[in-house]
Amino acid sequence: MRFRRSALALLTLSALGLLLALPAVAQEAARTAEYRAFPVIGSRLAVWAIAQLHLNFAAFILGVPIFAVIIEIMGWRTGEQRYDWLSHEFVKLTFAAFSTTALLGALLLFLFVGYYPKFWAYFSGIFYPTFWVYALLFFLETFTVYLWYYGWDWLSGSKKWIHVSLGVLSNLFGTAILFVSNAWVTFMTSPGGIDEAGNLTSLWGAINNYTWMPLNIHRLIANVVFGGTIAAAYAAVRFLQAKTDEERARYDWMGYVGNFVAISALMVLPFAGYWLGREIYAFNQTMGITMMGGFMSWLWVVQAILIGVLFIGSNYYLWLGMERIPGSERYRRYIPYMIMILAAGFIVWATPRSIPVTPSEMRVMGGAHHPVLGVLGVMSAKNTAVNLMILTTFLSYLLYRRANKESVKPWVGTGMAVQWLIFAAAAAIVTFYGVYGYFVESIVRIGFSVYQVLAVLGALVLVMAIDIPMFRGARSTGEIRWGTIAPRSQYVLILLAVTFTWLMGLMGFARSGIRQHWHVYGVLRDTSPDAVTPALGYAANMITVVTAVFFALVLFIFWLGGLGEKGKAEAGGHAAPAIAGGSHR
Amino acid sequence: MRVPVLGKVSVFALLVMGAYTYYANSIPQLQSKPPEELSLEGGNVTPEQLVKAGEGIFKEKGTCEVCHRIGQKGTRAPDLAGIGATAAKRKPGMTAKAYIIESLLDPGAHLVEGYPNIMPKVDRPPIGLNRSELWAVAAFLESLGGTVGVKLDDIPKTAVAAEVKLPGDPKAGQAVFMGKGGCIACHKAGAIGASPVGPDLSQIAKIQTPEYIMAKILNPAGMGTVAGYPAGVMPATLGQTLTAREYLDLVAFLLTLKGEGAAPAAKK
Repeated sequence: MRFRRSALALLTLSALGLLLALPAVAQEAARTAEYRAFPVIGSRLAVWAIAQLHLNFAAFILGVPIFAVIIEIMGWRTGEQRYDWLSHEFVKLTFAAFSTTALLGALLLFLFVGYYPKFWAYFSGIFYPTFWVYALLFFLETFTVYLWYYGWDWLSGSKKWIHVSLGVLSNLFGTAILFVSNAWVTFMTSPGGIDEAGNLTSLWGAINNYTWMPLNIHRLIANVVFGGTIAAAYAAVRFLQAKTDEERARYDWMGYVGNFVAISALMVLPFAGYWLGREIYAFNQTMGITMMGGFMSWLWVVQAILIGVLFIGSNYYLWLGMERIPGSERYRRYIPYMIMILAAGFIVWATPRSIPVTPSEMRVMGGAHHPVLGVLGVMSAKNTAVNLMILTTFLSYLLYRRANKESVKPWVGTGMAVQWLIFAAAAAIVTFYGVYGYFVESIVRIGFSVYQVLAVLGALVLVMAIDIPMFRGARSTGEIRWGTIAPRSQYVLILLAVTFTWLMGLMGFARSGIRQHWHVYGVLRDTSPDAVTPALGYAANMITVVTAVFFALVLFIFWLGGLGEKGKAEAGGHAAPAIAGGSHR
Repeated sequence: MRVPVLGKVSVFALLVMGAYTYYANSIPQLQSKPPEELSLEGGNVTPEQLVKAGEGIFKEKGTCEVCHRIGQKGTRAPDLAGIGATAAKRKPGMTAKAYIIESLLDPGAHLVEGYPNIMPKVDRPPIGLNRSELWAVAAFLESLGGTVGVKLDDIPKTAVAAEVKLPGDPKAGQAVFMGKGGCIACHKAGAIGASPVGPDLSQIAKIQTPEYIMAKILNPAGMGTVAGYPAGVMPATLGQTLTAREYLDLVAFLLTLKGEGAAPAAKK
C-alpha cells in the first residue's frame, strides 16, 4: 500500500512537472514538425484510444465520490452502519482507479506534445495559466481523497463531521478539475476569447465559451450515471460470485443502490443534452446542422437505441427486483402498459428525420422523409417520447418503492388520486406541446421543450412530496428478501454498464467529430493525413476495442484493490454488515 | 464443465458490444473529408466547367446543400430554384450577379422574409471559400434560371486567394533526389536509399506540410534540425544548384512519400 502511495505521488509530481514544462517543449517541437506519425496505428488512433480511456476512468473517479459522500451522510445521520460500509466500498473502487487515471492523463499529454506539436503550441499559448490552476486542484484533490479514504476509522465517532467534510471537499475539487479540463475541450469546439486570426484576447472568454457550461453540467450528471452503473456492475459480479446468502444479499443491495443512483441521474441527463445541443446551434448553425442533419445524422439513431436499452433495462431491473418484495404482486398489472409506453417511446426516438439519402431511396420513399413515419423524426415527437419514458421510469421506481408498504394515513385515497392526476397532467402537457410543436415556427417549438421538461420535473417533485409523508410509518407487507433476486437481473446491471460506457464513447466521437477537419473549429485547421472524420462503423469498431480494454483494466484494478483488502474486514476494519432480511428504506 | 462467472460476464459484455458494433457497421457509412482547394486564377475555364465546379462546391465544401434545396422549399433556408433569374428582381437597381455575390459574402444583408439570419459568411472560416471557389459558386447559382456572366474580377479582392498548385513531376523529382540533388546520400525515401545520416523521409508527406518541405530544402538551418540528427549537415545551396523546375519536381516527389514502402513515383 505504501508503495502504491509513493508511486501515485511520484506520478502526480511527474505529470505536474511535465504539464508546466510543456509549452516550452511544444514550441521547440513545433519548429521542426507540425505532426509526427505514431508507429503502426497512427497518431489519431493513439490519441483517440488514450483520450477515451482517460475520460472513462476520470468520469468514474469523479462520479462515484458524488454519491459516495451522500450515502456516507445518510449513514452518519441515520446511524446505520450499512450505509457507511457501502460508501467506503464505493470510495475503495474509486481509489483503486485513481493512479490509472493520472497515468492515462500523463500519456495523453505525451501524445499531444510529441505527435501534435503545432496544435499543442497554439493550445498551450491560450490556456497556459489554467495549467497552474489544474495542477493545484489536482494536488488538492489527491490529498483530500487520500485523507478521506485513509482517515475513515481515524475520523469516526465525534469526528465524523470532519470526515464527511473531507468527502464534500474532494467532490468540490473534483468538480473544479472537471470544469477546467472542459474549458479546454469546449474551446476546440466553440472557440471564444480570440480574434479572427486566433490570437487570445480574453482568457475568460476562451474558458467561458458557448458550450463550456452546458458540457460541465452534462458531464457532471453523466459521471454520476456512469459511476452508478460501474459500481452496480461491480456488485453484480460479486453477487454472481457470492458463496453465501449473506454475501449475495449485501451485493444485491449494493447493486440496487448503484442502479438507483444511475437511474435518478439518467432521468435528467437528456435535458442537459438538449441544452448542450442548443448552445452548439447558437454558436454555429452550420455545426449544429452538420451534427443533427448532416453526415452525423445516423449517429443519433444509434444513440437512440442505446438510450432505449438504458431505459428499458433500468425498468426491467426494477420489475425483477419487485419479485423479491412481498406485496408487490398488486402492482404487476401495470407492467405491460409501461412496457408499451417505453417501446413506443423507443421507436419514436429511433426514427430518423434528416438523414442523407440516395436518389433511389428518395424515389422509393416519395421524398426526403418517409411519408408516414417521417413526422415522428422531428424534435417535437422525440421530446414527447423521451419525457413520457422518463415519467414511466419514475412510475416504475414509485411502484418499487411502495411495493411492501401499505399506507396507514387516512388521506391515502385522496393522496393517490392527486398523484395520478399529477401524472396525467404532466403527460397531457408533454403531449399537448409535442403536437402543438408541429404547427409553429422552429424557434417557438424549441421553447416548448422547456415547458415539457418543467412539467415532468414538477411532476417528479410533487409526486414525491406526497409519497414520502403518505408512506411514513406505513404497514409492511414483508421484508425485502435481499439476495433472492433472479441472477439474470445482474446481467441487466452489466448490460447497463456496458451500454452506458459504449454510449460515452459514441458521444465523445460526436462531440469531437462535429469539428470535422479542424483542431480548433474555424481557427486551427487539421492538415494531418488523419483529417478525415471517419464513418460510424469505423468509430464503432474503435469504441468497442477501447471499451473492452477499459473493462479489462477495471477488472484488473478491482482485483488488485481486492488483494489489499483481503483479511482487513476480519481484522476489524470495515466489517461488512448483514443485509439479508434488512428492510429497504 | 463449470464456466467461471468472470468468463460468462466477459462473453456477455463482448456480445453486447458486438451487437452495437454490428449495427453501427450495417447502416450507411458516411465520412467527412477535408475539402480540397480549387484554384482557377490565371487559368482558362469555360462557363460549363465553372458551373460544374460550382455545383461541386455547393454540395461539398460550401455545405450549402445542408440548408438550401433546389426545387424544394426548405425550413431553414430559401429554395434556390430559379435564383439566377429571381435575384435580379430582389433589390431594385441591383443585378442578379451583384445580389448573389453579396448574399454569399454578407448573407444578413439580403435576408429573405420568413427565414432566420443563420447563414455564415462563406469566405470566412469554417467554410472559407477562396475567390476561385466563390466565382464558381456564383456561376452555378446564376445558371439556375439565369445566364452565367460572372467574372473572377467581380469577386472582391478581400476574399482569400486560392493556394498555388504545385506543377512538379514526382517521377522527375525522384531522379533529382537520386542524382543532382544528392539527397540519397543522407536520406532514405521508401524503397530508395538506406543512409541513416539524415532523417528517414519515407513518410514525410504524412507528417509535414508542403510549406515546410519547400522551406526546408531552401533553408535547412532556418527550419531547425530534427532531434537526434547533427545540425548543419544538410547543404544550404540547393536553392542555387537546382533549377526552378528541378526544385518543384523534387517537392512533388517528396509529397508522394506517405510511408507505403516503395517510392510511389517508381511504381507509376
